[in-house]
Amino acid sequence: MATTTTETVTAPAPRQTQVRIHLHTRSDDIELPQDTGPILVSTEVKRYQLSTLVNRLLETEKPVPLEFLINGQFLRSSLDDFLTQNGISAETTLRVEYVRALIPPLYVASYEHDDWVSAVDVLSPSSKPVRWMRNAEGPAMPQRILSGSYDGLLRVWNTSSEVIATGQGHTASVKAAKFISPTQVVSSSVDRTIRLWKFEDAAAESAGTLTPTLELFGHKASVDRIAAHAPSSRILSASADHTIGLWSSKKAEAPAAPEEVLPSANKRRKLSNTKTVPQRGPLSQLLGHQSQIADVCFDEKDATVGYSASWDHTVKTWDLTTSACVDTRTTAQSLFSICHLSESSLLATGTSARHITLIDPRASATTVSAMTLRGHTNVVVSLAKDPNSSYQLVSGSHDGTCRVWDIRSVRAEAMDRVGDSVYVIERNSASGGSRPAAGEGVKVFSVCWDADVGIVSGGEDNQVQINKSTTS
Amino acid sequence: NIDPESLLPKLPDPSELKPFPTTCSTICRGHQGKVRTLAFDPTGRFIASGGDDGTVRIWDFTTGRQAWSVKLSKDEPVNAVAWRPGNDTCILTACCGENVHFIIPQGELCPPDQEARSREILDAGFGHAAAPTTASKTASGATKPSASTWSRPSSTLQSHGVLLTLTLRTTPKSLSWHRRGDYFATVSPSTTSISTAVAIHTLSKHATQHPFRRLKGLAQTACFHPTRPLFFLATRQRIRIYDLQQQKLEKELQPGARWISGISLHPLGSNLLVSSYDKRLLWHDLDLGLTPYKTLRYHSKAIRDVAFHPGGLPLFADASDDGSLQVFHGKVVSDEFENATVVPLKVLRGHRVVRELGVLSVGWHPREAWCASAGADGTVRIWM
Ligand SMILES: [Mg+2]
Repeated sequence: MATTTTETVTAPAPRQTQVRIHLHTRSDDIELPQDTGPILVSTEVKRYQLSTLVNRLLETEKPVPLEFLINGQFLRSSLDDFLTQNGISAETTLRVEYVRALIPPLYVASYEHDDWVSAVDVLSPSSKPVRWMRNAEGPAMPQRILSGSYDGLLRVWNTSSEVIATGQGHTASVKAAKFISPTQVVSSSVDRTIRLWKFEDAAAESAGTLTPTLELFGHKASVDRIAAHAPSSRILSASADHTIGLWSSKKAEAPAAPEEVLPSANKRRKLSNTKTVPQRGPLSQLLGHQSQIADVCFDEKDATVGYSASWDHTVKTWDLTTSACVDTRTTAQSLFSICHLSESSLLATGTSARHITLIDPRASATTVSAMTLRGHTNVVVSLAKDPNSSYQLVSGSHDGTCRVWDIRSVRAEAMDRVGDSVYVIERNSASGGSRPAAGEGVKVFSVCWDADVGIVSGGEDNQVQINKSTTS
Repeated sequence: NIDPESLLPKLPDPSELKPFPTTCSTICRGHQGKVRTLAFDPTGRFIASGGDDGTVRIWDFTTGRQAWSVKLSKDEPVNAVAWRPGNDTCILTACCGENVHFIIPQGELCPPDQEARSREILDAGFGHAAAPTTASKTASGATKPSASTWSRPSSTLQSHGVLLTLTLRTTPKSLSWHRRGDYFATVSPSTTSISTAVAIHTLSKHATQHPFRRLKGLAQTACFHPTRPLFFLATRQRIRIYDLQQQKLEKELQPGARWISGISLHPLGSNLLVSSYDKRLLWHDLDLGLTPYKTLRYHSKAIRDVAFHPGGLPLFADASDDGSLQVFHGKVVSDEFENATVVPLKVLRGHRVVRELGVLSVGWHPREAWCASAGADGTVRIWM
């Protein structure tokens, strides 16, 4: 294979067979014991040989499969090919970043629903609701999947695709559902309410139950997303009424429900003194957005901070102790989803313009967009962080795919830093056919990523779909 | 011979004119037969549509989920839907047969305070006793039957949220609200009674007037000026601008079209788009005389509808029987010595042509660069 050098006036230099590389990583647990400085390696080496080399330097007992990033691009063939394709001289010392190899998230199972699946969440030994508990049961905890559907029901599933509990109470489509703890669930709906449920798992002889414990009133329109933080018993809600609700998951702490938003039938029922589910109102309402709120999340490190993404093109940062908006970042599009990547201090936000914008919300940030992840062909409505990596996330889109991204894999373009997806997860229901126009029938509405269960997504195909990367 | 167009400065590149719709993001399916009309609600959360199946449907346009529907007629199509302007109410009007129905969609679409306000607005007119404007004496002294009645519809319709029905003795095909949400105009093109083809209604008084009793030509569609008391009335070949306060004809535009299908007035009120069945789209700058400032021929079949972006983005789009929509950049400049720039941006394809009919209606989201189209193929499509 010929070396193509640019505009060489002298005779081509003899082909370099070795190149100096400088290895580094951003993952603490696989850092080299000491900086090796530049190492001379053959230009013929590929990912596998480099992985063996680093593992030898790391003196690992069991080899860690690694991948290599040079200038934000994954090494997919030999170093020689990489140098050629990128017009880089072999005289250069290459800065080579190594990362844990990404393993394709393979299809595991689908759980069939009667209607569209709007929301998914996972309870597992490694999930947040379990980690939040002081005396975590840990590995004894079974894996459970929570789904919310347009049929108005919540369902908890075991990993044998059996429904072990059903939650009935919402009077319209469920739009969001989350585990707060292994025994508590929160959901929201087009019916303008947020509901808290007591979850009792199936025991030896009996089925599990989802029992309504509290109804939260205050929103004037559909409540489309919720975020929960168990240690502070706080819930954030994103509503089409342009407001964000801040609520307590504790009945004793929650204020009375505002009379004017209670349905009139409820007022009558109250008077007749029949036993019903207690009703409460918000701790506060966060005002400031000019259009409907698409999504909300807590800061992963500081739960007194919340973030919201709105159709009004902005991401707002909220001080939840004072309910004040402390920062507004304006983008060029309507925003449909948000997720906090705590280790890199970035917010990922899914847009109506079919991409994901990463925003640095810190006051010191000079530009609104830190980078752009491109590849989806329809709006991006759900985002979740990889529980095992500070740099990876998954997105769900109305194009009928979930995509896995690594924010270390970005290239510089004229005005922006741009990244492509690492893996594309198709709907199993589409059975390998070409993707339908406008994602018809296969739109993904919700995605969640759990270290034990894998990538769980729900959508227009009435399915919860599980994909998992398995190392063996 | 030098083409004068070649002397004009080069047009900007479409990529510099973002945002504009480029991709079909949602297909809303459910209508049986042609979808004739659509309208985004004033808050921009939903889209309403009506069609040959006699139903009005409301869609969550990001997912394509039908959020609500009502069947207004077994055999008459829904010819026009329009939301009452303003964010304080949630009132949808729908023309079906000789009726104009006023609907407050049931369920969770309309916040409780808006619903209460909407009911007040619809009921206010019942306080006004049948106004003498609707009935008049004939030469023989007998009272002519009223040309319109405002009444409560059947209890079945009421239970679906249809709370008021205006019945005309003609079939309105277009309905256009005045910005303040009290007046609206209906146009019934195929009536034999030309004197009642155009009606202006006052919702708060449940009153109907026919101000154009001696109209020349067959009325097609009409609209109100956003700020001045002007009324734009399109017949097959002419557009007449009337001053409603002074009750006089202000101007008569000559678009040069053989058969006008639709008009759209720019939100600032000084530029008018005209679509025609003879494949032409005409831009009238009202400060530049009576003939079009620009004639655009981009379609191979009839153009059925045209719409300016209502929320200040420099965009407009048309809908054609060739199955496509064409999106244009059209920036209106406030400086009267500078003319508008028109740049074709994107052809949106996807609708199937069914028996020579393609896209029948186009509308814009109130704020975003998103448009929607209604097709003879039974779909509503959202473009982002
Ligand atoms: Mg129109």
